[in-house]
Amino acid sequence: MTDLLPQEAAAPSLAERLLETQAPQRPLSAPTFTVEVDGRQLTGHAGQTILEVCRDAGIEVPTLCYEPKLPGFGACRMCVVEVEGEDRPPISCSRDAEPGMVVRTQTPRLRQIRKTNLELIFSDHNAYCLPPCQNKCPSHIDIPGFLKANTEGDWAESARIFKRTIPFPSILGRVCPAPCEEHCRRDEVEEAIAIRDSHRYAGDQVLKLQAEGTRAPVPFEIQPPTGKRVAVIGSGPTGMSTAYYLAIAGHDVTVFERDPAAGGMLRYGIPQYRLPKVEILEAEYQAVWDLGVKLVVNAALGRDFTLDDLQNQGYDSVCIAIGCYDTNRLGIPGEDAEKVLDGLEYLRVATLGLRYPGHEGKRVVVIGGGFTSMDCTRTSIRQGARQVTLVYRRDMKDMPAANEVHEAIEEGAVGIFQAAPTRVLADERNRVTGVEFQRMRLGEPDASGRRRPEPMPGTEFVIECDRVLLAIGQGPDLSWLERGSSGVEATKNRRLKADAVTFATGRPGVFGTGDVRVGSATVVQANAEGRRAAYAIDAYLQGQDLEQIRTRQTLAEPQPEFLSIVPFTGEVKEPRYRLKAMAPEVRNTSYVEYEIPYSQTEAMAESKRCLQCTCEAIGYCDLRRQGIEYGTVLKTLEPQQSGAFSFRSVLENRFTGENHDYIRDDSHAFILREPSRCIDCGRCAQVCKEIVGAACYDFMRTGFDTLVTTPLDMSLNTTPCVSCGRCAETCPTGALMPKPRVLEKYDVDESRCILCGICVDACPYDALRCGPDFELSHESRAEPMIDLMAISAIDRDTEISYVERERDWLARAEASGRRLDPAKLLPVLPAGLGGDGRGNGHGPGGAGGHVRPR
Amino acid sequence: MELLERPRGWPGVLLGRPASDGETGLEAAERAGAWRAWRTALREHGPEGVIRTVEASGLRGRGGAGFPTGAKWRACREADGRGRYVVANGVEADPSAQLDRALMERDPHAVVEGTALAAYAVGAGEAIICVRAGYVRAFERLSAAVRAAEEAGLIGANALGSGVDVHLDVRAVSGSFMLGEETVLLRSLEGKRAQPDQRPPYPAQRGLWGEPTVVNNVETLAAVPWIVERGAEAYGRIGAKQAPGTTLVQLTGAVRHPGILEVPLGTRLEAVVDAGGGGAGRLKALLVGGPSGGFVPADALETRFAFGALAEAGAIMGSGTILALDERACIVDLATLMTRFLATEACGKTIPCRIGTKRLAEIGERFTGGRPRPRDPELLGDLAADVRDGALCALELTAINPLVSGMRYFEQEFEDHILRSACPAGVCRPLRVAAGAAH
Repeated sequence: MTDLLPQEAAAPSLAERLLETQAPQRPLSAPTFTVEVDGRQLTGHAGQTILEVCRDAGIEVPTLCYEPKLPGFGACRMCVVEVEGEDRPPISCSRDAEPGMVVRTQTPRLRQIRKTNLELIFSDHNAYCLPPCQNKCPSHIDIPGFLKANTEGDWAESARIFKRTIPFPSILGRVCPAPCEEHCRRDEVEEAIAIRDSHRYAGDQVLKLQAEGTRAPVPFEIQPPTGKRVAVIGSGPTGMSTAYYLAIAGHDVTVFERDPAAGGMLRYGIPQYRLPKVEILEAEYQAVWDLGVKLVVNAALGRDFTLDDLQNQGYDSVCIAIGCYDTNRLGIPGEDAEKVLDGLEYLRVATLGLRYPGHEGKRVVVIGGGFTSMDCTRTSIRQGARQVTLVYRRDMKDMPAANEVHEAIEEGAVGIFQAAPTRVLADERNRVTGVEFQRMRLGEPDASGRRRPEPMPGTEFVIECDRVLLAIGQGPDLSWLERGSSGVEATKNRRLKADAVTFATGRPGVFGTGDVRVGSATVVQANAEGRRAAYAIDAYLQGQDLEQIRTRQTLAEPQPEFLSIVPFTGEVKEPRYRLKAMAPEVRNTSYVEYEIPYSQTEAMAESKRCLQCTCEAIGYCDLRRQGIEYGTVLKTLEPQQSGAFSFRSVLENRFTGENHDYIRDDSHAFILREPSRCIDCGRCAQVCKEIVGAACYDFMRTGFDTLVTTPLDMSLNTTPCVSCGRCAETCPTGALMPKPRVLEKYDVDESRCILCGICVDACPYDALRCGPDFELSHESRAEPMIDLMAISAIDRDTEISYVERERDWLARAEASGRRLDPAKLLPVLPAGLGGDGRGNGHGPGGAGGHVRPR
Repeated sequence: MELLERPRGWPGVLLGRPASDGETGLEAAERAGAWRAWRTALREHGPEGVIRTVEASGLRGRGGAGFPTGAKWRACREADGRGRYVVANGVEADPSAQLDRALMERDPHAVVEGTALAAYAVGAGEAIICVRAGYVRAFERLSAAVRAAEEAGLIGANALGSGVDVHLDVRAVSGSFMLGEETVLLRSLEGKRAQPDQRPPYPAQRGLWGEPTVVNNVETLAAVPWIVERGAEAYGRIGAKQAPGTTLVQLTGAVRHPGILEVPLGTRLEAVVDAGGGGAGRLKALLVGGPSGGFVPADALETRFAFGALAEAGAIMGSGTILALDERACIVDLATLMTRFLATEACGKTIPCRIGTKRLAEIGERFTGGRPRPRDPELLGDLAADVRDGALCALELTAINPLVSGMRYFEQEFEDHILRSACPAGVCRPLRVAAGAAH
């Protein structure tokens, strides 16, 4: 707030004095003494609590119920500390510091007590921070946010919100497996929201505008150039995300691409019918080039340059995002037979728009269950193969590309599940004639939660074929490690060794991210990797310590798992708007995008279905912050065994039991009450009673059912509430919040106005003022009103700027030769500036002859 | 509840004087020995003398916590304040207990005199005797005793012409289990919600209306006249060395003669049970200390009824009740019942209390309901330790006792519930049904 104030060395202004009165005053003359805290010798003043001594010294002791303006309350038990010589840990907010005390604030026992407290709170915290969809999205896109913008038809804003986490709404709108939709809570009403199709529509609208010459929306303010140069190797989804966010941060980014055009797997791995290359891929990449990112094509790491070369050329940082292009081998006899093809190689030719030689009329077996195998299958059909058989070793529902398999079967493929190849059959000229498979039985679930296939001897069978396409996963090509890249290493299972959070490799300034680090994954995961790497690189370029980045990065990507026990009974049922697809018999010969996009009405209607399950307090919730810090709710960024992109839950709540489900109260005009988020800290009750004097809230009921609420849970409108907003200000969670409001223009019936001026006095925003002839004028206010939190800041701001404006006007008037009597015309100033101290900047208001400049 | 006959050789400090049933007149009381200590104190000892006597006697608070009374008084006397208060707690928070009621009804003058002595000793001009609102007769008798003493000039302005003002007030307080906690009683008297405050500062430093206040149980105060009259040494000879004196005990449940009796501290539990005629049926355990007390098994009856010994055994002095249990009682069920009661009575101020005790009760309910989670026994121990260490008031500190002491002594019975879905006592009925339905 202070940076809003002008720098004045003179007597403290009213605003400054207001700010000072917020902080507790302690006479400096109070005797001091020494206290030992965590091994440090601190100076305490007589009358200070242990907590105050710690906070003065910058030692963080967690609190939830502590309100700095009031004496310690002692409800949350988070600020427990150990004092030497005492059995039970006292709470630091209520315990006076004493000379010679030896205090410890972070011991395993204390952390355990705090953690138990937090877990207990969460066991009755019937609320959520992030909606489940956002949680499950690897990149944590603000899904309710862009859907909200969609409902208003504000496609640019929708795309901008999307681009805060992933730069490519249209591309992802086509190729994302949409893990978010599996967790959508609209499913409890009838059907999940079509989240992917919704951002696809918004992205497409923006692309249309771009084609007409509008610049693509940029999610954040572009920073001034830093002069740092970054080389990003690889122009796939990971590399381009990294480049995008680094460019926004003001760095000079060059992208190196091995192939003749940018896009990586998006261009050479995903077929045209799923992702049109010119209309979508290139158009959306244009937004990155527009930021000044440079591209060097036909330059491969290891082949054309080495890491040494790049760093010698003066790149301050290098980001390796070369992806995974080496298809895994089956490891069975006969694999080297002719026409056993690498699926990626096949797709590469196909996506270039060329027909793969001699594919027509052939019998093709595709082995694997991922997106590559699906693309191989469906492309083979489009290329006229006589018979396409897809074989996967697990069950259909376990396929990574399970949602696409139906479409492939519709188009004419045959699916065989729970079968694994045992050998490849070939004729005397070593040409493939068939593949022998063995049936698989599903055993115990493995680390990925899917049941592990086990072979069943004696169930072998043969599928005759002319071609075999292998699509059983890919690994990175790490041959470049051999030359000019000392310090960078590979892991045991042939991945690039880079930190999961800071993305740092063993070589300073060199980072590794994306598929090359974790193995082949989805596009959305790759984008998430790229963005997170960009933040790490940006911090590195600013000279920050990478270990500090670790904490921040971990906090920035939390995945708190909360209860979501909300019965959606009152919702009007409105089924999902589905994208229509072309008929299978049409599309299986066509490379045209097979899905038919929404109309504008459909897109808006679909977005309206969103239940907006997000917490407004997410940015400033103390409970969430501490829950994360104490590992109570966080799924850390530790990679899970099954796949590096999914996060392992550190701990599940041990105390899950009965919990409350309170009703949201939005009856009050300014304050929104969400009692299910209340943790009963009592701060609002204390502040309202002791500081405001209204006493709207108190603890009600007893035992487990205790809740800090109004008497009889009635609306705040029926309490002595003065709408000051202090309760919302002090609330550590989102239980009490300033209500977001958008005010439309109000009608003033001037024929009934008695010119009493009360509205002028009462309006906190100077929206109404005395006009030149002591008549009311009124202005409309279409922008969203700033929330109550900001009121105080605004008050002080307008105060000063108003006075300055008046002075300027006076000076201008004098300069232009109009002589004015300042005593008569200047408004009465606030006390600090020589006035009556009312501080409203209006002056007496009622007196005639006040000429106000506009 | 009936008063039991005192076994031979047990001293009568609290219930030693003949009952004043139906007769609350000052004269009769004075004939029986009331107000003698008060006169002596005002005439000879002075406030300092009274405090010194009480300190020397070793009297410890009978409200449950056992804090040395003399030290509390001295702290209050030495604290800075505009005024001082004495609050006598006769609310008897444990709904199953009737001991304080018996005391207040039988000898109201001892309570009033003790309160006056405390006020005199700490320099409080005002003292409040709080009585549970339902104890109508006790309230009437105490009020009558105060009125009579005032009219006789014993207390009030310029008591006995000594220049000391001691005003007594009897107040009916209605409330919950939480009123056993001293800060809760004070907030309640101030007209605020009955919730505890963090100590320190203790009420002796900052109590009623922010002034130094002594809060004592009526039983503690009723012993003071005896001590002042007969001397600290005489009191010190009674009962255990570390904490001498007597206390009231209410013996209920599976004993032949349930009732209330005065027991010297340090008596073996066995002797207490024998004073009630011994167990009716085969004794299984004693629940010592009320709802937040602990179980003491039948084979540990040599445990002494004293602060330290009970704490070691996992029980507390608490409200002074002893509930005898025979084999028809299920410890798991009873412990769960007690925990649930405490979880319901909790004021809801702190997290470990509001949610923690509820979760403890839920674990117990899962045991009795035949649906334990695999980690529940371990979780119970962990949660109990964290609730205790994060506790604000005595309710949380002691709420873990029933389940923890039950687990400690009746492990087999808990295991039967958890592992075999069986209740040896046949109390927990849904077990078999649930066991069949669950897996």
